[in-house]
Amino acid sequence: MPEKIINASYDALVIGGGIAGGEAALNLANNGFKVLIVEKDLSIGGKMILLSKVFPTLDCSACITTPKVSEISRHPGITIFTGSEVKSIKRKSETIFEAEVIKTPRYVIGEDCTGCQLCEQACPVLVHDQFQYNLVGRKAAYIPFSIASPRVAAIDIENCTLCGACEKVCPTKCIDFTQKSEEYHLDIKTVIIATGFKLFDPLMIPRYGYGIYKNIITSMQMERQLAPTRPYNTILRPGDGKVPDRIAYVLCTGSRDVTVGNPICSQICCMYSIKQAQLLMGALPMADVTIYYINIRSFGKGFEEFYDQAKGMGVNFVKGKIGKIREKEDGNLILRYEDINENIVKEAEHDMVVLSVGVLPNTDSAAFFPDGELKLDPFSFVYQSDPLSSPSKTSIEGVFVAGTATGPMDIPDSILSAGASSAEAISYLNRKL
Amino acid sequence: MNKKIGIYICHCGGNISDYVDVEKVKQSVENEDGVFLVKTTMFACGDANQKEMVDDIKKNELDGVVVASCSPKLHLITFRAAIELSDMGCPVTLIEREHFIGGRVAQWNLLFTTSETGKEVVTKLYNELIERDNITLLTGSEVIASAGSIGDFKLKIKKTPRYIKEECHKGKLQEAINVCPVVVADSFNFDITERKAIYHNFPSEYPQEPVIDIKNCTRCGECEKICPSVDFSMKEETIEINVGSVLMATGFDSYTPSEGEFGYNHFENVVTLPQFKRIIELNDKKLIFKGKEIKNIAYIYCVGSRQIKGENKYCSRYCCTSAIFAAIHTKSKFENINNYHFTRGIRTYGKQEVLYAESLKKGDIYLQSYEDDPPVVNQVNNKILVRINDILTAKKEMSVEADLIVLVTGMVPRADNSVASLFKLPKGRDRFFNEIHMKLRPVETVIDGITICGACQGPKNIMESVNSALSAAAKSFSYVSKGELELEPIIAKIEKDICTWCRACAEACPFDAIKMVKDEKKDVAAINNSVCKGCGMCLPVCPSDAINLIAYSNREIESMIDALAG
Amino acid sequence: MAGINVKSAKILVFSTEKISDPAIDMAGLLKLHYPPTVYTISIPCSSGVKSRWILHAFEKGFDGVFIAADGSDCPYGESCTEKTGKIIGMTHELMRAKDIEPARLRMAAICSVCSESFVKQMKSFNEYLLKNSNN
Repeated sequence: MPEKIINASYDALVIGGGIAGGEAALNLANNGFKVLIVEKDLSIGGKMILLSKVFPTLDCSACITTPKVSEISRHPGITIFTGSEVKSIKRKSETIFEAEVIKTPRYVIGEDCTGCQLCEQACPVLVHDQFQYNLVGRKAAYIPFSIASPRVAAIDIENCTLCGACEKVCPTKCIDFTQKSEEYHLDIKTVIIATGFKLFDPLMIPRYGYGIYKNIITSMQMERQLAPTRPYNTILRPGDGKVPDRIAYVLCTGSRDVTVGNPICSQICCMYSIKQAQLLMGALPMADVTIYYINIRSFGKGFEEFYDQAKGMGVNFVKGKIGKIREKEDGNLILRYEDINENIVKEAEHDMVVLSVGVLPNTDSAAFFPDGELKLDPFSFVYQSDPLSSPSKTSIEGVFVAGTATGPMDIPDSILSAGASSAEAISYLNRKL
Repeated sequence: MNKKIGIYICHCGGNISDYVDVEKVKQSVENEDGVFLVKTTMFACGDANQKEMVDDIKKNELDGVVVASCSPKLHLITFRAAIELSDMGCPVTLIEREHFIGGRVAQWNLLFTTSETGKEVVTKLYNELIERDNITLLTGSEVIASAGSIGDFKLKIKKTPRYIKEECHKGKLQEAINVCPVVVADSFNFDITERKAIYHNFPSEYPQEPVIDIKNCTRCGECEKICPSVDFSMKEETIEINVGSVLMATGFDSYTPSEGEFGYNHFENVVTLPQFKRIIELNDKKLIFKGKEIKNIAYIYCVGSRQIKGENKYCSRYCCTSAIFAAIHTKSKFENINNYHFTRGIRTYGKQEVLYAESLKKGDIYLQSYEDDPPVVNQVNNKILVRINDILTAKKEMSVEADLIVLVTGMVPRADNSVASLFKLPKGRDRFFNEIHMKLRPVETVIDGITICGACQGPKNIMESVNSALSAAAKSFSYVSKGELELEPIIAKIEKDICTWCRACAEACPFDAIKMVKDEKKDVAAINNSVCKGCGMCLPVCPSDAINLIAYSNREIESMIDALAG
Repeated sequence: MAGINVKSAKILVFSTEKISDPAIDMAGLLKLHYPPTVYTISIPCSSGVKSRWILHAFEKGFDGVFIAADGSDCPYGESCTEKTGKIIGMTHELMRAKDIEPARLRMAAICSVCSESFVKQMKSFNEYLLKNSNN
């Protein structure tokens, strides 16, 4: 039960602090508007800050995200609420929306935390680390990850045993278990929805054995293993910690698949799998990497050359959708597929499998608005009311959408979409003011 | 002259003081020359200490401050000023080379996702454009010269006349078109139809006045006799404008297959995708092309894209979706249509995937080959056959007797892009314009003040072009929005006396910020202060060491080295 | 050459403000250990280092000089890598002319999160310099 209600007003509310939300917020703030970013997680930067390298340039993702994230957190026109969620947004008048935002407590006084991590060392509780996609553990008192922004500790109150060890060692005495949630009632002139996407959960495809066979991971987990803020010093397979040398990628896991309710193509998986394959060839020179695909969608600028580069590096491409995976006693996996070239059903053995999971819509945003007002498209992404002339307009006037909230797209497209949504939001604000 | 320096040594809550005896450090520097005060503090970055430092500086008039703390990156910013951009109301000049606006979108008919036609989309946008007073539209115009840099581009524009006066008598126009003796291929309809030398493209087109194609006009004077608006005395104009930023949206060309490529220009029934879409529109109920009813259509994909031997190694992104959409539309509009797709793997990415599924449900046949074994178009007796070794059926050889062959052609950079070389816009390996950084700065170029958007940057569909255009607009606007340019003070400085104008610095500069100027009798290098980014690439290449960067001069760097060497 | 501190060599690092500085800074934040006699001077871009500064450093007693290059992350464009390489080449010639062992000048690309890579470089450079000190 929130103790108090705080009133405030902003020109723009950006829901989501990922790359699209961040870029839109920067554009608005650079044009003199007062912006509030509401981010559900403990850090901004979205999924991009957790990636290894980006395709097709192989730039280090963290290296290009952290300067943007710094710029956003330093900008005097941008306020950021992390660990916060929008409860509702209603139209109050022709020019104003009223938004209710709940900020859940970190139990740490942000301004006083120096990121020293002493609380982390003292905490006795170990749980799964959601930022490492459950590859390793973390403490209940923790800094989300080394390049988090803000780089401030948080207490995972659900798993915390309230032993007080963290409080005792904190040098600035900034741990405060008496913190309560805060409820904000905000007057907002325009909203940009940049809530991103969800990754397909391969538990929905039992014949792939994810969650049962230990050496099958998702592409996001492999991304974390390859990233500079990685959990291990090398690439390991989770079953026995062995360094793999015959890795298989299963493309279209959860995409182009009516049986799991997602008929569309996720647009990024071909490219990110090719990227990961190249990185693996570099990190594990002795390893074999095979990508099992239906079609390789390398359609963007530099993508086709990137695909050729991977072929040149020795990545194997096999046209054939994986039907079923089973496990051997030693933890190796047998993949069953129709080899299109030879026109027969074959089985191949690999010691580690990466499922290239697809992009699913994040349907949270529809619930913020009064029933049915924010339309979703047939695939449950935010509906674009005028996609060919104004791609960021939604079914609600004054509410715009940016990035993967509209549909699968890669980083450059998300940034352009964010640029477009901020341009439209600025025009809208100027017309209304 | 004694300097007064204040030193603050931070404990950093134990991070530093657990390893370093900060009190000892304090004692060892206390009595150094120039040191006015030394303090230790628990958290130098904290608010309390900040205020204390500010007070100390003011009260004691300190000349310099040394803070021995943890991360300089985290906290240095606290001591520097931030720069901000602000506001509104920017006049725009729209320069279009053709006499009509709308570009390629006006040439498309039915569009995917909204079922609007291209013309409807264009007309909708331009109705909004007309509403705004601060947009000036110049058609038939090209930039022929450019000088200056961001904030102050001086552009010279050549405007070719329409030879039709502004107020056109509409009734007379059609008569004038009828009497014109000149007939040429209509490039708006991809050369499938013809038009006269006096023409307009479609009724709701903007600007509403028609145009005389002076190159093909024979000056017979027939139209003049009928229509009083015709005015051959109109002359070419040269207009000079001064703008703060430039947005390039010069678009693309459709790939034109070479002679004989998959039978193009050899066999009568081979057309490109844009031509095919126009043919669909010009027909009703039955699909007739060159007198023959079309039943079997063969679509050959990746023509002019993903080339093994040609220049275009890239994928043109829009074509799989466009071709399949056209195939579905054709099947629903006409009877007895059979679609055969000769592909290299279908790329209907994202939500466009549902079109592929829909086409399959409607009975379209998909065949696939690898790049080293493309389909072959042959004439056998009177029939045109398309033959493929289909990998989807273990390389079985299949042939289709095609009434019409549609070459799914890609996008290529505009052939005539002289305006790009005027601005010295860099191009990528695919010959489209290059942005600075695909992820972080997707619409900016290395030339300050010039943004790029749409297909001139690379193949993309309409929605993607619009997104990039809106982003580029916001960016272009941000260059001029404040009325003045704010720059970092870190720029290069040239010592004219030592400079011998060897050009090394000008060549090293990636931003074209160094030019030659005359200084009394000598030729020397001069830095354009508004373009110089302070990167320093010119510093090491100067043979006479005549260049220094503000704040990173020889004296400053070498004295830092001296101090560190101890 | 001035006498080497037996425990660690004196290394001067030219680091770039936007790219390698954050990495070196983070190495500190992450409490990664590297030789304490490594000193850093920040400059805008690794292709803007003058040979004379490097020679000056050797003259003043530095055992080694390390250029933390921007590589492909350089905010000023792609020409950085080539230009930085040229500077190293030029400087090596000047060093040979002055009888300074060229291996005392090193360069490597350090991206903005490459803290561990930086620490590795410093440790190995330090080891090399200690082993090859010629007095």
